[in-house]
Amino acid sequence: MGATASQLDKGMLSEYQELTYLTKQEILLAHKRFSELVPKEEIDRINCRIPMNLVLTLPELKSNPFNERICKVFSTSDSHDGSLNFDDFLDLLSAFSDSATLEIKSHYAFRIFDFDDDGTLGRHDLEKLVNCLTGGTDDTNLTPEEMRQLIDNILEESDIDKDGTVNLSEFQHVISRSPDFVSSFKIVL
Amino acid sequence: MTSDLNRQDSHREYDYFPGDGYPGDHHSLRLRRLSSRRSIPNIPHYNPSSSDGGDSEADNQGQPRELRGLPQHMAIKKAKLKSRGILVPVLSKAELWKQDKLKKLQKLQNKAREFLYFLTLWGKTLQKIGGNFGGGVRSYFLFLRFLVILNFVSFLLMAGFVIIPSLVFRQTGVSFMNSNSTAGEEKCTIYEPNPPGLVVFYDYFLDLLSGTGFMEYSFMFYGYYNNTMVEDRNFSYKISLAYLFTAIFYFAFCLICIITRMGSAARVAVATGGSTVVNYSMIVFTGWDYGCLGDTATKLKQKNLLYRLQVDLEEERLKKHAASLTLLQKFGLHSLRLLMFLLVLGLNIAAFFGIFYATSYSQNQSAGKESDGVQALFFEYLPSIVISAGNFLVPLLCDQIAKVEHYSPSITVIVALLRAVVLRFVGLGVLLFTLWDQITCTGKINDEKCKLCRYNYDSYPCWETRVGQEMYKLTLFDLLINIAVLVLVEFPRRMVVDNWSSKISQLVGRQEFVVSANVLGLVYSQTVVWTGAMFCPLLPLINTVKFVILFYCKKITLFSNCRPPQKTFRSTTSAFFFLVVLLLGWMLASVVLIYSIAVIRPSLGCGPFRFYDSMWSIVPKSLNSLPAVTQEFLFFIGSQAFTIPLFSLSSLVMFYVIALFSIYGKSVRLLRQQLKGESRDKQFLVKQIEELSQ
Repeated sequence: MGATASQLDKGMLSEYQELTYLTKQEILLAHKRFSELVPKEEIDRINCRIPMNLVLTLPELKSNPFNERICKVFSTSDSHDGSLNFDDFLDLLSAFSDSATLEIKSHYAFRIFDFDDDGTLGRHDLEKLVNCLTGGTDDTNLTPEEMRQLIDNILEESDIDKDGTVNLSEFQHVISRSPDFVSSFKIVL
Repeated sequence: MTSDLNRQDSHREYDYFPGDGYPGDHHSLRLRRLSSRRSIPNIPHYNPSSSDGGDSEADNQGQPRELRGLPQHMAIKKAKLKSRGILVPVLSKAELWKQDKLKKLQKLQNKAREFLYFLTLWGKTLQKIGGNFGGGVRSYFLFLRFLVILNFVSFLLMAGFVIIPSLVFRQTGVSFMNSNSTAGEEKCTIYEPNPPGLVVFYDYFLDLLSGTGFMEYSFMFYGYYNNTMVEDRNFSYKISLAYLFTAIFYFAFCLICIITRMGSAARVAVATGGSTVVNYSMIVFTGWDYGCLGDTATKLKQKNLLYRLQVDLEEERLKKHAASLTLLQKFGLHSLRLLMFLLVLGLNIAAFFGIFYATSYSQNQSAGKESDGVQALFFEYLPSIVISAGNFLVPLLCDQIAKVEHYSPSITVIVALLRAVVLRFVGLGVLLFTLWDQITCTGKINDEKCKLCRYNYDSYPCWETRVGQEMYKLTLFDLLINIAVLVLVEFPRRMVVDNWSSKISQLVGRQEFVVSANVLGLVYSQTVVWTGAMFCPLLPLINTVKFVILFYCKKITLFSNCRPPQKTFRSTTSAFFFLVVLLLGWMLASVVLIYSIAVIRPSLGCGPFRFYDSMWSIVPKSLNSLPAVTQEFLFFIGSQAFTIPLFSLSSLVMFYVIALFSIYGKSVRLLRQQLKGESRDKQFLVKQIEELSQ
């Protein structure tokens, strides 16, 4: 059940409207942008998949430090290579849309920050997260002592059951106290 | 239902109904709960167990909403949809249309907000500065922008009520002479600002710099305005009254602006808990803006986050270090700080005496012989030179002293500010004092020079214009010094450091943007403008232009010559202190204003208050021309029967507000403790659940 290259029929459109937080215009725009990325040879194949490096050429994702993680989280490919088909793309846009709920956004944010996909944010995940936030290169990183101090503070504040990692509900507890999260966790085409 | 769907290996943990903390099979109940929550983007609370059963949107949108709210892949959602037997979507056309319109409205609002942000003066520049140099430097530029807007608005005020009417009514109005002047005072009414004869051409340039000559008798200065009065059938306008009231209102307006801004800065500082409560997890988890487009914006945001984290970590480290000192070390540190305080006090006093001597010497020289040309200019500018030298040297020394004291970066900035502000204001105060000294012969009316006109006519035929000129010179000189330092010191320093590598240049290094000294410069210039605005109505406009030039100069030097700060400080508390210091400057200027309005006799030769005993005395005289009812009303307001109840009422209101403030502070503390208690409760409950489930 994917999209054909040239058009979405009405039934599929209303189905997508029901299953995502996107409006009709947004779904059509997404379809247009997705079709632009599909390589010419595959343009008539239904349910075609775009490899991750093509998805990352989208200007909205290009300079985002979490772009690879976003693709990997929303990808349904068996080889976990981050390639997206149209359904995945719509899932992505729905989670990042204006009207998505706080719960959906915090759920996906948690998955994006979970770099090793083990269901919790451990020290290693937090370290990678902070490095993504500050720049990732040597001169934009925190020093190891600062990093250690920061992660200790984060775990002390948010790890309620003291198991050394932040799980989904602890993460959502922190997010729920921030009034800006919903408006900043947004990607609009 | 959950077992046969969504079985992908790595996503096992992300089943929508996981077993972590939500025991039992309540998924149908959860679905119902989920559907009853409206998906309004800005509601921040996450409350899975809220029983908002009676939400109106649940009825007609309950079923479709719950599917899109599942954090699962599209294929699974489609399967669920099919399994529920809903083949045709339930959302009616009307619903879809409504949703569409709502989204369009939101988009329009976002676009409008973006456009307004674009219109904000220098918005993009400030963001760039904040990203590259941290919040501290940015707060200086924010302060500068505030002053630019304040000056421009006050210039519009002055222009509207004084300058333009003066221009218009100069031709049509009536300028009357008061024939009640006592005999012998005719001499005091002679005022000739334009000396007869040819003027050497370079004198024009000197005149521009010092406000004399062709500039003296112009709209620039007080002396040009007459006490014109226009009376028409329904319209009367007295320039003198307008002048006085505009000056008073200008001060009140500036006070209101400063206090309002202080209020909002204080609110931010209190809401974020000052410097005590920092939530690292909040910054790290919610700090990123996914709408950031482009490499430059992303890099800026990353730098911002890096600085923020570093500032917070640094302050925490310092706090821990301070708390971990032994008693002996604490004693040593405090005594060192006391010693440094005394040293700084001594430096300030030395500078004070230096300025005093320089100013009196300069006054003596210019009052004594008639030297002309550059030498006269030098003597005229001597006080400004000494004041600028003091302002340059003393903060430099204070900076070195501050390195010994080991305060946290935020406190260091505030301490440096408070130390240098005294020096700056003392310098200005000494200048004003010597001026007053000369004009009123040290207050002795019966002194030989002041006997005739009650002010020193020989040296100051129009003393208000003279004061205005002094302030104009200070303003101009300040700007020239800033530009000169920029060109002659900062650029060469960078070129030397970059191109000539030696031990000295390594030691000196590229300069760092010192926020406190620059802020002080701004406060000083603004105080000078406030002091001089009464006597030089165009001064706010000149100051606006000066601050705009200063903004661009500082920006250029920041990006070209300065290295990124190694330590940055929290900008919320320091922004508040900048405004406190500005308020101190305002108080100094208002003292000058009140004194010159109420006490000193206006010049007889010039100005709109020519024949009054003091500037304020025009008000009682004009009151007499008002209708009787208004007069009685105004007298009543001024009388004791009104002011005493008003005073007691305001004290009552003040006490009430203070009580409210302390209650709010207590409730904020209580709520914080409650939050901590809640997390401890959660911990306890989780442990209980673990124990019970074993």
